[in-house]
Amino acid sequence: MFTWLENTAVAIWVAESLYGYPFLLALHVVGLAVVVGIFLMRDLRLLGLFRTLDIAAFMPLSRMAWVGFIVNAISGFMLFTSQATTFVNNTAFLLKISCIIVGMILAGVIQSRLRGELAGAGGNPALTQSTKIIAFISLLVWVSAIITGRLIAYT
Amino acid sequence: MLQALASLVMDSPLNQWIAATYWLWPVLEITHFIGLSLLLGGLIIMDLRLAGHVRALSPVAIHSLLPIIILGFVMNFGSGILFFFGDPMRYAINIGFQVKMVLVGVAGLNAAFYYWKLHPVMHSWTVDSVSPPIAKVVAYTSLFTWLGVLLCGRLIPYVGTG
Repeated sequence: MFTWLENTAVAIWVAESLYGYPFLLALHVVGLAVVVGIFLMRDLRLLGLFRTLDIAAFMPLSRMAWVGFIVNAISGFMLFTSQATTFVNNTAFLLKISCIIVGMILAGVIQSRLRGELAGAGGNPALTQSTKIIAFISLLVWVSAIITGRLIAYT
Repeated sequence: MLQALASLVMDSPLNQWIAATYWLWPVLEITHFIGLSLLLGGLIIMDLRLAGHVRALSPVAIHSLLPIIILGFVMNFGSGILFFFGDPMRYAINIGFQVKMVLVGVAGLNAAFYYWKLHPVMHSWTVDSVSPPIAKVVAYTSLFTWLGVLLCGRLIPYVGTG
């Protein structure tokens, strides 16, 4: 299947055109800044930093992070196709993808929890201990995604 | 100027140490990427509010993001200097790096303007205040110069000499 993917027209364009790969990488780093940037700020806020920032503001900001995620899922998949058989055997890559999946699931969990807590208490609800623990795991997972992502080239 | 700096740095003890320490480069890259996430994450929120979006935030509250933005910048300034020390000739002649440094300078001037001129008057803003045009200009200048910094930085390995 991965060999087939590598031979699709998209994969060949990414691998062989002069601009394909760098263009997608550039897009991917912008998406990274949006997704990881916003989610890290959200997690730090939930953990008690910048307490004057209204937690409610992270609802529209998280939607923006989801847009960044879609950009990176598409650019990332296209980058993947160009060397699918290599990436699929790369431990750092597999760990990175696992971190992203966990991070996005936790983003959904945090969003639904905040929706509930905001509905009861306005802009700045008192957070439950479990929400803080989830935010802390989310923070670790996104930092790990960056670490493993950088290590793909070295493994 | 960059070339002169590069020849000054070349063969210095730090240059030789970075070039010989195989684990350092990936560690610097990881630091640089975490730093950019902190810097850009904080700035996106701050600049969007400054431009009049995300009205749920109070304009005064966004200043609490400054320490994390500065932390991200310091992480990237430090790791960036070590990148340059590690491979000075490559960076000095690279057009991507040269444009990136100019854009970081522009972003710095823009941030200084914000800090001296806008920051002091923002305390009187309320949640309902409409962002004045100058605030919008500063906010979008910041967002677009940092976008340019990201793009130029990522393209350094793919572009030629300037």
